[in-house]
Amino acid sequence: MPMPGIAGRFDRRAVLKGAVALGALGVGSPFIVKARAETPIRIGMVDPLTGVYAAVAQNEVTGAKLAVEQVNAEGGILGRPIELLVEDSANDVGTGVQKARKLIERDQVTFLIGDVNSGVAQAIAQVSNEKKVLHIVSGGHTDTITGSDCKWNVFRVCNTTSMEANSVSELLFNKYGKKWHFITPDYAFGHTLQAAAAADLKKLGGAMTGNELTPLGTSDFSAYLIKARAANPDVVLVLAQGSDMVNCLKQMVQFGLDKQMHVAGLQQELESLEAMPPEARIGIWMFEWYWKQPGVPGVEQFVADIRKMNGGKVPTARHWFGYTSLHTLAGIANQEQSTDAVKLARALGSYELPPEVKLQPNKCYYRAGDHQLMTSAFVGEAQAHGKDDPEDLFRVDQVIAGDKTAPAESATGCKLQWPA
Amino acid sequence: MTQLILFNITNGLIIGAFYVLMALGLSLILNLSNVINFAHGGFLVIGGYIAYTITPYVGFWGALVVAPLFTAGLGLLVERVLIRQVYGRDPLYSLLLTFGLAFIIEDGTRFIWGAQGKPVTVPAILAQPLSYEFFFLTGYRLFMVAMVVLAVALLFVMLRYTRLGIRIRAGTLDLETVAAMGINVQMLRSLNFAAGIYLAGLSGVLAAGQLGLEPTMGTGLLMPSFIAIIVGGVGSLTGTLIGGLLIGVASGVTAVFLPAASEAIMYVLMAVILLLRPRGLLGEEGMLT
Repeated sequence: MPMPGIAGRFDRRAVLKGAVALGALGVGSPFIVKARAETPIRIGMVDPLTGVYAAVAQNEVTGAKLAVEQVNAEGGILGRPIELLVEDSANDVGTGVQKARKLIERDQVTFLIGDVNSGVAQAIAQVSNEKKVLHIVSGGHTDTITGSDCKWNVFRVCNTTSMEANSVSELLFNKYGKKWHFITPDYAFGHTLQAAAAADLKKLGGAMTGNELTPLGTSDFSAYLIKARAANPDVVLVLAQGSDMVNCLKQMVQFGLDKQMHVAGLQQELESLEAMPPEARIGIWMFEWYWKQPGVPGVEQFVADIRKMNGGKVPTARHWFGYTSLHTLAGIANQEQSTDAVKLARALGSYELPPEVKLQPNKCYYRAGDHQLMTSAFVGEAQAHGKDDPEDLFRVDQVIAGDKTAPAESATGCKLQWPA
Repeated sequence: MTQLILFNITNGLIIGAFYVLMALGLSLILNLSNVINFAHGGFLVIGGYIAYTITPYVGFWGALVVAPLFTAGLGLLVERVLIRQVYGRDPLYSLLLTFGLAFIIEDGTRFIWGAQGKPVTVPAILAQPLSYEFFFLTGYRLFMVAMVVLAVALLFVMLRYTRLGIRIRAGTLDLETVAAMGINVQMLRSLNFAAGIYLAGLSGVLAAGQLGLEPTMGTGLLMPSFIAIIVGGVGSLTGTLIGGLLIGVASGVTAVFLPAASEAIMYVLMAVILLLRPRGLLGEEGMLT
């Protein structure tokens, strides 16, 4: 079937140009959410509202918005209402940095929150440090943010990757075996999480059979899974997150690998479990916060408040990250009666979250030496179906305090350089 | 190691078959209407989400029939309202239009169904591996390949033996002459566009069963489809078929030796083909299939 003339009318070059433009899709125009108020104190929030982490990022924003409502209802910060300016980092370092600069330089935000993506969080921390803006990393886990790359103005709410690994490694080793194979997302978060788990495994006397580095946004994991099975491990640890984790676990179960070896991981999130078919909700994991905590003060109210804002759905750890980040900033500013970044950063070094913010049984405080929040790990097992509630997809077996899972301050490599 | 490579070649062919389905839809639209449809991934997503929405009522098999047809209907509407306005203009217009449309579809999907991924369960009969050894050959993946083979066969039969197909082929050669012979070219373009979008919708339903369903999934699947067209040669459907399979296998084999380069190898392959044979494998003038 001949078809001359096609190349002449719309030739290869045009197709190539189109393909280049397609590459720009991922860093295209962002989605912007803004709120306005009079004489406000502005807080900037940079999170990937589009891309593979969109669901968790939007939940962080919702949590922060709930905190804004609560703080404003009680008089705001130093009597001034809070205005939350939200920008989309699109899961891209360049875009994240550009948005952080825009928030600080043009919008004159007093504080900064973000990002979910560790690489973006680390990059915008450089900007906030350069501009001397108090910055809370809400959901980027890589160790170095409060480790070797720590900064006087940067604090973190979520666990470090070392804390995550330390909370669950021993249980995985005892229950699933000593030969581990990793499916690791190929960026800062994945690298440090895998390194921490591998170090734990070595201490426990186990062996690593392999580590598959998968590009962020991988949709088909079969090639990696073929290699993983050929290595014959006791357990495959899935460290990928978001839609990557969903795809990976879904494919592992379809391949029947869960019948041949154990499948588990370190960090798990409710957003991911809800996006999986029931048969893929398997294995031991750790949650960073869980909505079902009978008897813990404030949790029931928080769940009810988020349900109202979230179409009836329960809060996830991400809601709590956003909520806690904003309450931390408001709480410390009101405590110190100041918005001075240096003064507040020094005060945060010994700041303990009040019960209505920490929403967990253990003590929850920022460490002075590395600015890491000592927050709990909720260790347990994924459930195919919720028993009392369709969103109860995780059985919490133990809640381990943050200072039990975190490496000593001296071991983090953090050396804070305060401004003169 | 040999076994591992053979596994990955087979696996690559399965993945490549999926790229073929996407790329053929793109290629159809490109060949007749000179429109590079950046929104093709968006239509894939729509197909998947429609399948997710109607599955509780009509089951997976019903969704497999209805969702692509519904997506094609939506494509027809988009063609008549938007795409038609840019026919005959500089290709940049259609490129920008569909580029914007891709964003609108992605955000629209997020607005309607939410940013959080949705679980799609495939029928139990397809959800099992066929053997312990060849565990990656699940019933569902082979079903996907069978669907691709069926769709490709029907497409080629339609293009070769039906009046519509012959007109589409003639139109790709010389649309003005086709119009001068009294054939309704607007209708021809609309039907051709709908056929291309039908393939996108079908890809979406099949992908939803294999991958997690989320608003951005189309973007990641679109790029390999473009590469398949370029490698195979613009204007050649057979070339697209070969291109899709080739990049699937290349990606699968690379994952054995250098996993981090499994995506990049597709671009390397494209660059090599373009250097050695700038028209792509079968992209010579005078060749359609």
